[in-house]
Amino acid sequence: MKQERFVALHGGEWDRLQAWLDALERQPKRMLRDESSLDFPASYRRLCHHLALARGRGYSHEVTERLQRIVQQGHRLLYRAPPPRWQRMAAFLTGGFPRLVRAQWRCMLAAAVLFYLPALVMLVLIQWRPELAHSVFDSQQLADFEKMYDPANQHIGRSSGTDMQMFGYYVMNNVGIAFRSFASGLLFGVGAVYVLGANGVLIGGVAGHLTAIGYGGPFWRFVAAHSAFELTALVIAGGAGLKLGLTLLAPGRQRRGPALVAAGWIGAQLALGAFAMLLVAAFLEAYWSSNASLPDAVKFGSAALLWLLVLGWLGFAGRGRRHGA
Amino acid sequence: MIDTIREIETPEGIALRLRAAGALPRAQAWMIDLVVRGVGLVIAMIPLSLLGVAGNGVAMLLMFGMTWAYAVVCEACFSGQTVGKRALGLRVVHADGTPVGWLPSVVRNLLRGVDILPGVYGVGLASTLLDPHARRLGDIVAGTMVIHANELPPGQQVPDVPALPLPLVLAADEQAALVEFAERAGQLGTQRQEELAGLLRPLTDGDGPAAVRQLMAHANWLLGRP
Repeated sequence: MKQERFVALHGGEWDRLQAWLDALERQPKRMLRDESSLDFPASYRRLCHHLALARGRGYSHEVTERLQRIVQQGHRLLYRAPPPRWQRMAAFLTGGFPRLVRAQWRCMLAAAVLFYLPALVMLVLIQWRPELAHSVFDSQQLADFEKMYDPANQHIGRSSGTDMQMFGYYVMNNVGIAFRSFASGLLFGVGAVYVLGANGVLIGGVAGHLTAIGYGGPFWRFVAAHSAFELTALVIAGGAGLKLGLTLLAPGRQRRGPALVAAGWIGAQLALGAFAMLLVAAFLEAYWSSNASLPDAVKFGSAALLWLLVLGWLGFAGRGRRHGA
Repeated sequence: MIDTIREIETPEGIALRLRAAGALPRAQAWMIDLVVRGVGLVIAMIPLSLLGVAGNGVAMLLMFGMTWAYAVVCEACFSGQTVGKRALGLRVVHADGTPVGWLPSVVRNLLRGVDILPGVYGVGLASTLLDPHARRLGDIVAGTMVIHANELPPGQQVPDVPALPLPLVLAADEQAALVEFAERAGQLGTQRQEELAGLLRPLTDGDGPAAVRQLMAHANWLLGRP
Protein backbone atom coordinates (compact mmCIF):
# COMPACT_ATOMS: atom_id res chain seq x y z
CA MET A 1 0.00 0.00 0.00
CA LYS A 2 1.35 3.41 -0.94
CA GLN A 3 1.86 5.93 1.80
CA GLU A 4 -0.76 8.41 0.57
CA ARG A 5 -3.49 5.76 0.59
CA PHE A 6 -2.44 4.58 4.07
CA VAL A 7 -2.70 8.12 5.43
CA ALA A 8 -6.02 8.67 3.69
CA LEU A 9 -7.39 5.48 5.26
CA HIS A 10 -6.24 6.07 8.85
CA GLY A 11 -5.36 9.76 9.12
CA GLY A 12 -8.77 10.63 10.54
CA GLU A 13 -8.39 8.19 13.39
CA TRP A 14 -4.91 9.53 14.22
CA ASP A 15 -6.21 13.07 14.30
CA ARG A 16 -9.07 12.08 16.61
CA LEU A 17 -6.71 10.35 19.03
CA GLN A 18 -4.29 13.29 18.91
CA ALA A 19 -7.12 15.73 19.64
CA TRP A 20 -8.37 13.60 22.52
CA LEU A 21 -4.87 13.37 24.04
CA ASP A 22 -4.37 17.11 23.72
CA ALA A 23 -7.71 17.80 25.37
CA LEU A 24 -6.77 15.38 28.14
CA GLU A 25 -3.61 17.30 28.93
CA ARG A 26 -5.68 20.45 29.38
CA GLN A 27 -8.48 19.01 31.56
CA PRO A 28 -7.56 15.48 32.70
CA LYS A 29 -10.44 14.81 35.12
CA ARG A 30 -13.26 15.70 32.75
CA MET A 31 -11.89 13.89 29.75
CA LEU A 32 -11.27 10.67 31.68
CA ARG A 33 -14.84 10.63 32.95
CA ASP A 34 -16.07 11.11 29.41
CA GLU A 35 -17.26 8.01 27.57
CA SER A 36 -14.78 8.55 24.75
CA SER A 37 -12.00 7.48 27.13
CA LEU A 38 -13.23 3.88 26.91
CA ASP A 39 -11.97 3.70 23.33
CA PHE A 40 -8.51 4.92 24.21
CA PRO A 41 -6.65 1.64 24.87
CA ALA A 42 -8.00 0.00 21.74
CA SER A 43 -7.37 2.96 19.45
CA TYR A 44 -3.93 3.49 21.00
CA ARG A 45 -2.97 -0.10 20.21
CA ARG A 46 -4.30 0.22 16.67
CA LEU A 47 -2.11 3.27 16.30
CA CYS A 48 0.92 1.30 17.53
CA HIS A 49 0.10 -1.28 14.89
CA HIS A 50 -0.01 1.45 12.27
CA LEU A 51 3.38 2.76 13.41
CA ALA A 52 4.86 -0.73 13.13
CA LEU A 53 3.39 -1.06 9.65
CA ALA A 54 4.64 2.37 8.61
CA ARG A 55 8.16 1.57 9.77
CA GLY A 56 8.10 -1.89 8.22
CA ARG A 57 6.95 -0.53 4.86
CA GLY A 58 9.53 2.23 4.95
CA TYR A 59 7.08 5.14 4.88
CA SER A 60 8.62 8.57 5.10
CA HIS A 61 9.44 10.43 8.31
CA GLU A 62 6.43 12.61 7.82
CA VAL A 63 4.21 9.68 8.76
CA THR A 64 6.43 7.76 11.20
CA GLU A 65 7.29 10.84 13.22
CA ARG A 66 3.68 11.94 13.39
CA LEU A 67 2.70 8.49 14.68
CA GLN A 68 5.65 8.28 17.04
CA ARG A 69 4.60 11.56 18.65
CA ILE A 70 1.08 10.29 19.34
CA VAL A 71 2.42 6.95 20.59
CA GLN A 72 4.69 8.70 23.08
CA GLN A 73 1.81 10.74 24.41
CA GLY A 74 -0.40 7.67 24.67
CA HIS A 75 2.32 5.55 26.27
CA ARG A 76 2.69 8.18 28.96
CA LEU A 77 -1.02 8.06 29.69
CA LEU A 78 -1.58 4.32 29.51
CA TYR A 79 1.41 3.31 31.64
CA ARG A 80 1.44 6.10 34.20
CA ALA A 81 1.82 5.29 37.89
CA PRO A 82 -1.41 4.77 39.83
CA PRO A 83 -2.39 7.66 42.10
CA PRO A 84 -1.35 7.23 45.76
CA ARG A 85 -4.00 5.88 48.09
CA TRP A 86 -4.32 6.61 51.82
CA GLN A 87 -5.21 2.99 52.39
CA ARG A 88 -1.86 1.82 51.09
CA MET A 89 -0.05 4.37 53.19
CA ALA A 90 -1.81 3.10 56.31
CA ALA A 91 -1.05 -0.50 55.36
CA PHE A 92 2.58 0.46 54.87
CA LEU A 93 2.88 2.04 58.31
CA THR A 94 1.07 -0.74 60.16
CA GLY A 95 2.63 -3.67 58.33
CA GLY A 96 4.96 -3.05 55.42
CA PHE A 97 7.40 -0.76 57.14
CA PRO A 98 8.02 -2.92 60.25
CA ARG A 99 8.38 -5.95 57.99
CA LEU A 100 10.94 -4.11 55.90
CA VAL A 101 12.89 -3.08 59.00
CA ARG A 102 12.94 -6.68 60.22
CA ALA A 103 13.97 -7.95 56.80
CA GLN A 104 16.98 -5.60 56.90
CA TRP A 105 17.83 -6.44 60.52
CA ARG A 106 21.56 -6.85 59.86
CA CYS A 107 21.93 -3.32 58.57
CA MET A 108 19.69 -2.00 61.33
CA LEU A 109 21.78 -3.77 63.98
CA ALA A 110 24.98 -2.40 62.48
CA ALA A 111 23.52 1.10 62.41
CA ALA A 112 22.32 0.80 66.01
CA VAL A 113 25.81 -0.28 67.15
CA LEU A 114 27.45 2.53 65.14
CA PHE A 115 25.17 5.04 66.82
CA TYR A 116 24.65 3.81 70.39
CA LEU A 117 28.21 2.61 71.03
CA PRO A 118 29.89 6.03 70.58
CA ALA A 119 27.02 7.62 72.50
CA LEU A 120 27.44 5.27 75.45
CA VAL A 121 31.22 5.56 75.43
CA MET A 122 30.98 9.37 75.46
CA LEU A 123 28.37 9.30 78.18
CA VAL A 124 30.52 7.12 80.46
CA LEU A 125 33.81 8.82 79.62
CA ILE A 126 32.49 12.26 80.51
CA GLN A 127 31.28 11.02 83.91
CA TRP A 128 34.82 9.86 84.53
CA ARG A 129 36.63 12.90 83.10
CA PRO A 130 34.18 15.82 82.71
CA GLU A 131 36.72 18.05 80.94
CA LEU A 132 36.38 15.81 77.84
CA ALA A 133 33.16 17.65 77.05
CA HIS A 134 35.27 20.67 76.11
CA SER A 135 37.06 18.70 73.41
CA VAL A 136 33.76 17.95 71.67
CA PHE A 137 31.92 21.26 72.13
CA ASP A 138 33.18 24.80 72.48
CA SER A 139 32.27 26.76 75.58
CA GLN A 140 29.52 28.77 73.85
CA GLN A 141 27.71 25.57 72.86
CA LEU A 142 28.09 24.18 76.38
CA ALA A 143 26.66 27.38 77.82
CA ASP A 144 23.67 27.08 75.47
CA PHE A 145 23.03 23.49 76.54
CA GLU A 146 23.24 24.47 80.18
CA LYS A 147 20.78 27.29 79.62
CA MET A 148 18.35 24.96 77.80
CA TYR A 149 18.33 22.34 80.55
CA ASP A 150 18.60 24.62 83.56
CA PRO A 151 16.33 23.07 86.24
CA ALA A 152 14.89 26.57 86.80
CA ASN A 153 13.71 26.76 83.17
CA GLN A 154 9.92 26.53 82.65
CA HIS A 155 10.19 25.08 79.15
CA ILE A 156 12.98 22.55 79.23
CA GLY A 157 14.99 21.74 76.18
CA ARG A 158 14.98 25.21 74.67
CA SER A 159 16.08 28.68 75.56
CA SER A 160 13.25 30.49 73.76
CA GLY A 161 10.52 29.95 71.17
CA THR A 162 6.99 28.61 71.16
CA ASP A 163 5.85 25.02 70.63
CA MET A 164 4.95 25.64 66.98
CA GLN A 165 8.28 27.23 66.20
CA MET A 166 10.17 24.38 67.79
CA PHE A 167 8.02 21.84 65.91
CA GLY A 168 9.02 23.40 62.61
CA TYR A 169 12.64 23.52 63.68
CA TYR A 170 12.72 19.90 64.81
CA VAL A 171 11.12 18.69 61.58
CA MET A 172 13.55 20.60 59.41
CA ASN A 173 16.62 19.67 61.41
CA ASN A 174 15.98 16.03 62.29
CA VAL A 175 14.44 14.92 59.01
CA GLY A 176 17.29 16.65 57.19
CA ILE A 177 19.82 14.64 59.21
CA ALA A 178 17.94 11.38 58.62
CA PHE A 179 17.61 11.95 54.86
CA ARG A 180 21.25 12.93 54.57
CA SER A 181 22.39 9.86 56.47
CA PHE A 182 20.42 7.72 54.01
CA ALA A 183 21.69 9.51 50.92
CA SER A 184 25.32 9.65 52.04
CA GLY A 185 25.24 5.87 52.36
CA LEU A 186 25.73 5.82 48.60
CA LEU A 187 29.35 6.91 49.19
CA PHE A 188 30.29 3.27 49.88
CA GLY A 189 28.51 3.52 53.24
CA VAL A 190 31.13 5.92 54.60
CA GLY A 191 28.68 8.81 54.81
CA ALA A 192 26.12 6.83 56.78
CA VAL A 193 28.80 5.55 59.17
CA TYR A 194 30.04 9.09 59.69
CA VAL A 195 26.60 10.64 60.26
CA LEU A 196 25.60 7.87 62.68
CA GLY A 197 28.90 8.00 64.60
CA ALA A 198 29.07 11.78 64.72
CA ASN A 199 25.51 12.07 65.99
CA GLY A 200 26.22 9.35 68.55
CA VAL A 201 29.22 11.29 69.85
CA LEU A 202 27.29 14.57 69.94
CA ILE A 203 24.23 13.19 71.68
CA GLY A 204 26.33 11.12 74.09
CA GLY A 205 28.45 14.18 74.77
CA VAL A 206 25.50 16.42 75.60
CA ALA A 207 23.90 13.76 77.78
CA GLY A 208 27.18 13.08 79.56
CA HIS A 209 27.99 16.72 80.16
CA LEU A 210 24.56 17.63 81.51
CA THR A 211 24.49 14.56 83.75
CA ALA A 212 27.96 15.32 85.03
CA ILE A 213 27.12 18.89 86.03
CA GLY A 214 23.93 17.82 87.75
CA TYR A 215 21.39 18.94 85.12
CA GLY A 216 20.64 15.31 84.33
CA GLY A 217 17.12 15.46 85.76
CA PRO A 218 15.60 17.94 83.31
CA PHE A 219 17.61 16.50 80.42
CA TRP A 220 16.47 12.92 80.81
CA ARG A 221 12.91 14.07 81.54
CA PHE A 222 13.03 16.00 78.29
CA VAL A 223 14.51 13.40 75.97
CA ALA A 224 13.09 10.16 77.37
CA ALA A 225 9.76 10.24 75.52
CA HIS A 226 10.51 11.51 72.02
CA SER A 227 13.87 9.75 71.76
CA ALA A 228 11.95 6.50 71.25
CA PHE A 229 10.85 7.75 67.83
CA GLU A 230 13.72 10.10 67.07
CA LEU A 231 16.74 7.89 67.74
CA THR A 232 15.09 4.80 66.27
CA ALA A 233 14.22 6.70 63.11
CA LEU A 234 17.79 7.97 62.84
CA VAL A 235 19.10 4.42 63.19
CA ILE A 236 16.66 3.16 60.53
CA ALA A 237 17.61 5.91 58.06
CA GLY A 238 21.29 5.25 58.72
CA GLY A 239 20.71 1.52 58.28
CA ALA A 240 19.04 2.20 54.93
CA GLY A 241 22.14 4.19 53.95
CA LEU A 242 24.41 1.34 55.04
CA LYS A 243 22.35 -1.04 52.94
CA LEU A 244 22.84 1.21 49.93
CA GLY A 245 26.60 1.40 50.49
CA LEU A 246 26.93 -2.34 51.09
CA THR A 247 25.01 -3.04 47.90
CA LEU A 248 27.43 -0.86 45.99
CA LEU A 249 30.41 -2.67 47.53
CA ALA A 250 29.04 -6.22 47.41
CA PRO A 251 26.00 -6.54 45.17
CA GLY A 252 25.88 -10.31 45.66
CA ARG A 253 24.55 -12.46 42.85
CA GLN A 254 23.31 -9.55 40.79
CA ARG A 255 24.81 -6.90 38.59
CA ARG A 256 25.47 -3.62 40.39
CA GLY A 257 22.86 -1.64 38.49
CA PRO A 258 19.77 -3.75 39.24
CA ALA A 259 21.04 -4.45 42.77
CA LEU A 260 21.33 -0.71 43.43
CA VAL A 261 17.86 -0.04 42.05
CA ALA A 262 16.43 -2.70 44.38
CA ALA A 263 18.35 -1.28 47.35
CA GLY A 264 17.22 2.24 46.47
CA TRP A 265 13.61 1.06 46.38
CA ILE A 266 13.96 -0.47 49.87
CA GLY A 267 15.93 2.51 51.15
CA ALA A 268 13.34 5.02 49.99
CA GLN A 269 10.59 3.12 51.80
CA LEU A 270 12.70 2.99 54.95
CA ALA A 271 13.46 6.71 54.65
CA LEU A 272 9.76 7.51 54.24
CA GLY A 273 8.93 5.43 57.33
CA ALA A 274 11.68 7.20 59.25
CA PHE A 275 10.21 10.49 58.06
CA ALA A 276 6.80 9.56 59.52
CA MET A 277 8.47 8.56 62.80
CA LEU A 278 10.37 11.85 62.94
CA LEU A 279 7.14 13.79 62.45
CA VAL A 280 5.73 12.03 65.52
CA ALA A 281 9.00 12.65 67.38
CA ALA A 282 8.97 16.35 66.52
CA PHE A 283 5.37 16.66 67.66
CA LEU A 284 6.16 14.95 70.98
CA GLU A 285 9.32 16.96 71.42
CA ALA A 286 7.58 20.27 70.86
CA TYR A 287 4.33 19.71 72.74
CA TRP A 288 4.94 16.99 75.34
CA SER A 289 8.63 16.76 76.21
CA SER A 290 9.00 20.48 76.82
CA ASN A 291 6.31 20.53 79.48
CA ALA A 292 8.23 20.83 82.76
CA SER A 293 5.25 20.78 85.11
CA LEU A 294 4.42 17.07 84.78
CA PRO A 295 5.64 14.78 87.60
CA ASP A 296 8.49 12.37 87.01
CA ALA A 297 6.25 9.32 87.17
CA VAL A 298 4.16 10.57 84.22
CA LYS A 299 7.20 11.62 82.22
CA PHE A 300 9.18 8.42 82.61
CA GLY A 301 6.10 6.20 82.56
CA SER A 302 4.97 7.62 79.23
CA ALA A 303 8.52 7.37 77.92
CA ALA A 304 8.72 3.68 78.84
CA LEU A 305 5.36 3.12 77.15
CA LEU A 306 6.51 4.88 73.99
CA TRP A 307 9.74 2.87 73.82
CA LEU A 308 7.75 -0.34 74.26
CA LEU A 309 5.31 0.84 71.61
CA VAL A 310 8.04 1.61 69.07
CA LEU A 311 9.99 -1.58 69.66
CA GLY A 312 6.81 -3.68 69.71
CA TRP A 313 5.59 -2.03 66.53
CA LEU A 314 8.85 -2.64 64.70
CA GLY A 315 9.21 -6.13 66.14
CA PHE A 316 5.72 -7.52 65.76
CA ALA A 317 3.50 -5.39 63.50
CA GLY A 318 2.58 -7.02 60.20
CA ARG A 319 3.49 -10.53 61.31
CA GLY A 320 1.32 -13.51 60.46
CA ARG A 321 -1.14 -11.68 58.26
CA ARG A 322 -1.41 -12.65 54.64
CA HIS A 323 -0.13 -9.85 52.49
CA GLY A 324 0.73 -9.16 48.91
CA ALA A 325 4.36 -8.92 47.92
CA MET B 1 28.10 6.46 22.83
CA ILE B 2 27.68 9.84 21.14
CA ASP B 3 24.04 9.24 20.31
CA THR B 4 21.85 10.21 23.26
CA ILE B 5 18.79 8.44 21.91
CA ARG B 6 17.60 5.47 23.88
CA GLU B 7 15.27 3.05 22.16
CA ILE B 8 12.74 1.33 24.37
CA GLU B 9 10.44 -1.44 23.33
CA THR B 10 6.92 -0.89 24.59
CA PRO B 11 4.52 -3.75 25.41
CA GLU B 12 2.94 -3.12 22.01
CA GLY B 13 6.21 -4.06 20.33
CA ILE B 14 6.98 -0.51 19.22
CA ALA B 15 10.40 1.07 19.60
CA LEU B 16 10.03 4.38 21.43
CA ARG B 17 12.91 6.78 20.96
CA LEU B 18 13.74 8.85 24.05
CA ARG B 19 16.24 11.68 23.87
CA ALA B 20 18.30 11.89 27.07
CA ALA B 21 18.80 15.41 28.43
CA GLY B 22 22.35 16.46 29.26
CA ALA B 23 23.77 18.42 32.17
CA LEU B 24 23.25 21.93 30.78
CA PRO B 25 19.46 22.05 30.30
CA ARG B 26 19.06 20.23 33.61
CA ALA B 27 21.23 22.76 35.39
CA GLN B 28 19.12 25.54 33.87
CA ALA B 29 15.92 23.82 35.00
CA TRP B 30 17.40 23.47 38.48
CA MET B 31 18.21 27.19 38.55
CA ILE B 32 14.63 28.06 37.59
CA ASP B 33 13.35 25.74 40.32
CA LEU B 34 15.69 27.41 42.80
CA VAL B 35 14.28 30.82 41.91
CA VAL B 36 10.67 29.52 42.03
CA ARG B 37 11.23 28.00 45.45
CA GLY B 38 12.96 31.11 46.75
CA VAL B 39 10.24 33.44 45.49
CA GLY B 40 7.49 31.13 46.81
CA LEU B 41 9.14 31.12 50.21
CA VAL B 42 9.50 34.90 50.30
CA ILE B 43 5.87 35.42 49.28
CA ALA B 44 4.69 32.98 51.94
CA MET B 45 6.85 34.73 54.54
CA ILE B 46 4.88 37.97 54.25
CA PRO B 47 1.61 36.76 55.84
CA LEU B 48 3.56 34.41 58.13
CA SER B 49 5.55 37.25 59.58
CA LEU B 50 2.29 38.67 60.94
CA LEU B 51 1.82 35.52 63.02
CA GLY B 52 4.93 36.19 65.05
CA VAL B 53 6.99 33.37 66.49
CA ALA B 54 4.48 30.63 65.58
CA GLY B 55 4.70 31.82 61.98
CA ASN B 56 8.39 31.13 62.29
CA GLY B 57 7.61 27.47 62.86
CA VAL B 58 5.29 27.32 59.85
CA ALA B 59 7.97 29.03 57.80
CA MET B 60 10.45 26.37 58.80
CA LEU B 61 7.99 23.62 57.84
CA LEU B 62 7.58 25.38 54.52
CA MET B 63 11.31 25.59 54.05
CA PHE B 64 11.52 21.89 54.79
CA GLY B 65 8.86 21.23 52.16
CA MET B 66 10.64 23.38 49.60
CA THR B 67 13.93 21.61 50.26
CA TRP B 68 12.81 18.00 50.29
CA ALA B 69 9.25 17.64 49.05
CA TYR B 70 8.95 20.19 46.22
CA ALA B 71 10.63 18.13 43.52
CA VAL B 72 9.00 14.85 44.58
CA VAL B 73 5.48 16.28 44.64
CA CYS B 74 5.93 18.11 41.33
CA GLU B 75 7.44 15.12 39.56
CA ALA B 76 4.87 12.66 40.84
CA CYS B 77 1.82 14.87 40.27
CA PHE B 78 2.71 16.57 36.96
CA SER B 79 4.03 13.47 35.15
CA GLY B 80 7.69 14.07 35.81
CA GLN B 81 7.95 17.82 35.47
CA THR B 82 8.87 20.45 38.03
CA VAL B 83 8.33 24.07 37.08
CA GLY B 84 11.88 24.41 35.82
CA LYS B 85 11.76 21.15 33.87
CA ARG B 86 8.51 22.22 32.25
CA ALA B 87 10.05 25.52 31.24
CA LEU B 88 13.03 23.73 29.67
CA GLY B 89 10.89 20.98 28.15
CA LEU B 90 12.39 18.18 30.25
CA ARG B 91 10.67 15.23 31.84
CA VAL B 92 11.66 12.54 34.34
CA VAL B 93 10.70 9.04 33.20
CA HIS B 94 11.38 5.49 34.31
CA ALA B 95 13.87 3.47 32.32
CA ASP B 96 10.90 2.07 30.36
CA GLY B 97 9.65 5.50 29.34
CA THR B 98 6.66 5.68 31.69
CA PRO B 99 6.15 8.78 33.88
CA VAL B 100 8.06 8.64 37.15
CA GLY B 101 6.19 7.28 40.21
CA TRP B 102 6.33 8.37 43.85
CA LEU B 103 8.99 6.03 45.18
CA PRO B 104 11.55 6.42 42.37
CA SER B 105 11.04 10.16 42.59
CA VAL B 106 11.75 10.00 46.34
CA VAL B 107 14.92 8.01 45.67
CA ARG B 108 16.30 10.33 43.01
CA ASN B 109 15.54 13.45 45.00
CA LEU B 110 16.93 12.14 48.31
CA LEU B 111 20.12 11.08 46.54
CA ARG B 112 20.43 14.59 45.15
CA GLY B 113 22.27 15.13 48.43
CA VAL B 114 25.12 12.97 47.10
CA ASP B 115 25.10 14.34 43.55
CA ILE B 116 25.35 17.89 44.81
CA LEU B 117 28.30 17.06 47.04
CA PRO B 118 31.66 18.59 46.18
CA GLY B 119 30.81 22.20 45.46
CA VAL B 120 27.80 22.47 43.17
CA TYR B 121 26.80 19.14 41.61
CA GLY B 122 30.37 17.83 41.21
CA VAL B 123 29.43 14.16 41.47
CA GLY B 124 26.26 14.70 39.47
CA LEU B 125 28.13 16.43 36.63
CA ALA B 126 30.76 13.69 36.45
CA SER B 127 28.04 11.07 36.47
CA THR B 128 25.98 12.72 33.71
CA LEU B 129 29.10 13.01 31.55
CA LEU B 130 30.12 9.38 32.06
CA ASP B 131 26.72 7.73 31.78
CA PRO B 132 25.52 6.98 28.23
CA HIS B 133 22.04 8.20 29.15
CA ALA B 134 23.30 11.25 31.10
CA ARG B 135 21.95 10.03 34.41
CA ARG B 136 23.21 11.34 37.72
CA LEU B 137 23.75 8.90 40.60
CA GLY B 138 20.25 9.47 41.93
CA ASP B 139 18.80 8.59 38.55
CA ILE B 140 20.88 5.43 38.31
CA VAL B 141 19.75 4.18 41.72
CA ALA B 142 16.13 5.21 41.14
CA GLY B 143 16.08 3.63 37.68
CA THR B 144 14.96 6.89 36.05
CA MET B 145 16.28 9.24 33.40
CA VAL B 146 15.62 12.81 32.31
CA ILE B 147 14.55 13.22 28.69
CA HIS B 148 13.64 16.02 26.35
CA ALA B 149 9.85 16.05 26.41
CA ASN B 150 9.35 18.50 23.56
CA GLU B 151 9.19 16.82 20.20
CA LEU B 152 11.58 17.84 17.50
CA PRO B 153 10.03 20.19 14.96
CA PRO B 154 8.26 18.07 12.34
CA GLY B 155 10.27 17.33 9.25
CA GLN B 156 9.57 19.02 5.95
CA GLN B 157 6.97 17.55 3.67
CA VAL B 158 7.70 16.27 0.20
CA PRO B 159 6.79 19.12 -2.17
CA ASP B 160 3.72 18.39 -4.25
CA VAL B 161 4.62 17.95 -7.93
CA PRO B 162 3.04 15.68 -10.54
CA ALA B 163 4.21 12.10 -10.02
CA LEU B 164 6.58 10.38 -12.38
CA PRO B 165 7.04 6.57 -12.32
CA LEU B 166 10.58 5.33 -11.70
CA PRO B 167 12.24 4.00 -14.88
CA LEU B 168 13.93 1.17 -12.96
CA VAL B 169 13.28 -0.90 -9.85
CA LEU B 170 14.89 0.43 -6.67
CA ALA B 171 15.52 -1.51 -3.44
CA ALA B 172 13.56 -0.51 -0.34
CA ASP B 173 16.42 1.43 1.26
CA GLU B 174 17.14 3.22 -2.00
CA GLN B 175 13.49 4.25 -2.21
CA ALA B 176 13.66 5.46 1.40
CA ALA B 177 16.78 7.50 0.61
CA LEU B 178 15.04 9.11 -2.35
CA VAL B 179 11.96 10.06 -0.32
CA GLU B 180 14.15 11.34 2.48
CA PHE B 181 16.07 13.51 0.03
CA ALA B 182 12.79 14.99 -1.18
CA GLU B 183 11.68 15.61 2.39
CA ARG B 184 14.86 17.32 3.46
CA ALA B 185 15.58 19.21 0.27
CA GLY B 186 13.95 22.30 1.76
CA GLN B 187 16.68 22.44 4.41
CA LEU B 188 19.50 22.31 1.85
CA GLY B 189 20.87 25.04 -0.38
CA THR B 190 20.02 24.89 -4.07
CA GLN B 191 23.58 24.06 -5.07
CA ARG B 192 23.80 21.24 -2.55
CA GLN B 193 20.48 19.85 -3.80
CA GLU B 194 21.76 19.86 -7.37
CA GLU B 195 25.06 18.31 -6.31
CA LEU B 196 23.27 15.44 -4.55
CA ALA B 197 20.83 14.94 -7.41
CA GLY B 198 23.75 14.87 -9.85
CA LEU B 199 25.11 11.77 -8.09
CA LEU B 200 22.22 9.75 -9.49
CA ARG B 201 23.28 10.32 -13.08
CA PRO B 202 21.97 7.06 -14.65
CA LEU B 203 18.59 7.65 -12.99
CA THR B 204 18.21 11.34 -13.77
CA ASP B 205 18.21 12.50 -17.38
CA GLY B 206 19.25 16.11 -17.11
CA ASP B 207 21.41 17.83 -14.52
CA GLY B 208 21.03 20.84 -12.23
CA PRO B 209 17.49 22.00 -11.39
CA ALA B 210 15.94 19.49 -13.81
CA ALA B 211 17.48 16.53 -11.94
CA VAL B 212 16.14 17.84 -8.61
CA ARG B 213 12.68 18.29 -10.10
CA GLN B 214 12.77 14.78 -11.51
CA LEU B 215 13.73 13.28 -8.14
CA MET B 216 10.86 15.18 -6.49
CA ALA B 217 8.47 13.73 -9.05
CA HIS B 218 9.79 10.22 -8.40
CA ALA B 219 9.40 10.75 -4.65
CA ASN B 220 5.77 11.78 -5.22
CA TRP B 221 5.23 8.64 -7.23
CA LEU B 222 6.76 6.51 -4.44
CA LEU B 223 4.42 8.10 -1.90
CA GLY B 224 1.48 7.20 -4.11
CA ARG B 225 0.44 10.73 -5.05
CA PRO B 226 -1.26 11.27 -8.42
